[in-house]
Amino acid sequence: MKKMIAAISGLVLGALASTVIFADFNGNNNNNKNQSSTASNAQKVYVPFGQKDEYYLFASGGHSGQMFIYGVPSMRHIRTIPVFSPDSATGHGWDKHSRELMGEYNWGDLHHPAFSEKGGEYDGKYMFATDVANNRAAVMDLKTFTVKDILEVPNTGGPHCAAFVTENTEYMFLPTRFAVPFGHDYATLDEYKTKYKGVMSAVTFNEAKQKLNVAYQVALPPWSFDLSDAGKKTSKDWAVMTTYNTELATTEQEINASQKDRDYIVLFNWKELEKMVAAGKYDTVNGQKMIDPAKHRGGIYLVPTAKSPHGVDVTPDGKRFIAAGKLAPAMTVFSFEKAFKAIKDKKFAGEQEGIPILDYESIMEREVNPENALGPLHTQFDDKGFAYTTMFISSEIVKWNVDSGETVDRVPVQYSPGHAVAAEGDTVSPDGKYIIALNKIAKDSYLSVGPSHPESMQLIDLTGKKMEIIQSVPVNPEPHYAQIIKANKVKPIVVYDKDTKRPNSIWNQKDAHISRSGNTVEVNGIAMRSKFIFDAKAERKDVISVKEGDKVVIHLTNIDLDQDITHGFGINSYNLNMEVQPGQTQTIEFTAKKAGTYPLYCTNFCSALHQEMSGYLLVEPKG
Amino acid sequence: MKEEGAFAALFSFYEKGVIKLSKTLSIPSVIALCLAAILLITSIFFPWWGMRFYAPQYPEGLDIIVYPYKMAGDIDIVNGLNHYIGMKGFGEENFPELQFLPYIIGILALLTLITAFLRRKSLLYGLIGLFVVGGAFGIYDIHRWLRNYGTDLDPTAPIKVDPFVPPVFGENTLANFVTESYFTYGSFLLGAAFFCTLFPLWRDRKR
Repeated sequence: MKKMIAAISGLVLGALASTVIFADFNGNNNNNKNQSSTASNAQKVYVPFGQKDEYYLFASGGHSGQMFIYGVPSMRHIRTIPVFSPDSATGHGWDKHSRELMGEYNWGDLHHPAFSEKGGEYDGKYMFATDVANNRAAVMDLKTFTVKDILEVPNTGGPHCAAFVTENTEYMFLPTRFAVPFGHDYATLDEYKTKYKGVMSAVTFNEAKQKLNVAYQVALPPWSFDLSDAGKKTSKDWAVMTTYNTELATTEQEINASQKDRDYIVLFNWKELEKMVAAGKYDTVNGQKMIDPAKHRGGIYLVPTAKSPHGVDVTPDGKRFIAAGKLAPAMTVFSFEKAFKAIKDKKFAGEQEGIPILDYESIMEREVNPENALGPLHTQFDDKGFAYTTMFISSEIVKWNVDSGETVDRVPVQYSPGHAVAAEGDTVSPDGKYIIALNKIAKDSYLSVGPSHPESMQLIDLTGKKMEIIQSVPVNPEPHYAQIIKANKVKPIVVYDKDTKRPNSIWNQKDAHISRSGNTVEVNGIAMRSKFIFDAKAERKDVISVKEGDKVVIHLTNIDLDQDITHGFGINSYNLNMEVQPGQTQTIEFTAKKAGTYPLYCTNFCSALHQEMSGYLLVEPKG
Repeated sequence: MKEEGAFAALFSFYEKGVIKLSKTLSIPSVIALCLAAILLITSIFFPWWGMRFYAPQYPEGLDIIVYPYKMAGDIDIVNGLNHYIGMKGFGEENFPELQFLPYIIGILALLTLITAFLRRKSLLYGLIGLFVVGGAFGIYDIHRWLRNYGTDLDPTAPIKVDPFVPPVFGENTLANFVTESYFTYGSFLLGAAFFCTLFPLWRDRKR
């Protein structure tokens, strides 16, 4: 009887408990909870007018050739900075300086932006970027957010594996994605193994001259180099980069470059390479100092790594590098220390193309394989020893412990993240607060604009117990990679200095003049609210008169030294436009090929009388 | 030497209260006058007067700041905006006062020192008179320029406004701009110097 009572009361208690726990007394309960979490997420990203974001996000613009600047956490798009592609809004590609930088190219494929560094921290002075399409490197001055130099790198076929900057911006390295013969010379694909090379370029930046320069190149085997990272702290003289197509496939790479179970991470010591160059251990190839690693040994080693690795990322303490498997669903943690020891002890497991191969088992610390996590591409870090790896195929970010390999948390993202970027994520001291998923696929997440969809970025809060997406924004193609810098590190100028010694600058309306020498007409003019003055002494000060066939050089100084009073300068029917920022002198050059009458006007709305800010270009026909 | 001896004797008589010379300034008064001279010279290096322009697009304000020998602030920007209403450009070259004002202050400081040295009350009255006349003229001069700039507008200006005279001190509204005229540090130092010259009137009053 006692047993019966116990059993019945147990059942009753169980039913009661289950009712309390599982029954839905209030249909809105869940809904309310969602709403309150949405509201608190909204608060986390809302930055009211007058206040500014905590971080800058510099996102690659991929095949737009541009860079996009966002504020974090608001995720507001602040500005598009043209780098490798012309941009009529700013005149990038039309004014003399940027047109010379652009050369013959009018598009670029900007993949991986990288800040200049000091002591392994972003110093907020410069931003570097590379162009996979046309083998170029660019540097942007963060005082003005304008491109100061673009360098075309020879002997290489698409520096995807770039840019990564060493701890004190000694070098940025540009390993190639596509192997090509030196100088893009003609060679059939049957000669791939012998004639083709996978060249890595070491580029330096001269800050005083604001110029980029190729210091030396390395003729690596014709593999494809994918991603890379520079060492930090104890590993600061070293760098790592991933390879695929060690199969040397020359067609249908999708299949043929995915045959081997292991490709390599190339581990190299740039100090050693520097010494080789100093010792004259190089060949001169198309004007470049080219190191042949088969001929001049040392400084470069191969680390066998699971199948076509994509990202390789150095931990903030500089002690480990982590490969993301792409086709092998695992991250591999390698130890720099163990690698250094193996190199010191010459403990090699053979060599390929004359480059020593390190023994996998002796330097590998751990293979991390979160359950059903597929397509690991890229890893970022926080300030607490956790790694965050994007999973392209399983469309999520996995948080895991670098020391133990244990999976801590996972968050689905929409959809298919390539890279992710953490706040100050590539420095020796990441901030940990946020990570942003740079998603390749947006599908119908936003209002439809037809079949060409935007990409998507998702801001994830890392401060709570669980990772949580707190904002999603559509973005222009294509956020391959980005970097997040603390806003107070960047110190842009407001207007250009009134530099009266600057060549061709005019600061007083009365000094504006037009001069002719031979067939060249040179205009030294000013723009101010709301007029152009090209020739102060002329009856019509805002008219430029030339003869058909003349070369016309126009220097224009914006003498409104007032914040955000930008003037534009467009010439109707002449396909010309540029911007002149307050205090800036810009030059535009063209040949007056078409005779006729062409209005010119301020293209950037400047003032209440902006519409009146115009004049004429009169091109007198040849007699 | 002889004179100096006489001065010392006089001084000692005064100290002993043997004689009272109401026409002679006391030591504290002399110190006050020396201080006045120092304040005058110091004021040359500080701005005296300013005008601040606020507009919806300029919530942070634009400044015209006047020193005795130069102008500072956002002169170019203010001029750029003022040309729309046909106002002449502000510039140091348009104000001859800025060429000689520091010397006037220098001379006034010198006169103050001379008064302190000679300790003559009659001179002090003259000095105070100079201060009052100079101050009044200074304020009138600012007003004169403001009237000149506000009323002598180019008739061909794109935006027509009625002639106006901004106050020497206080607020004025014109189109989208609210201006605020004010005296600042240099003027405060001048005021303090003036009070220092008044001090002997109280200190050495007849009892």
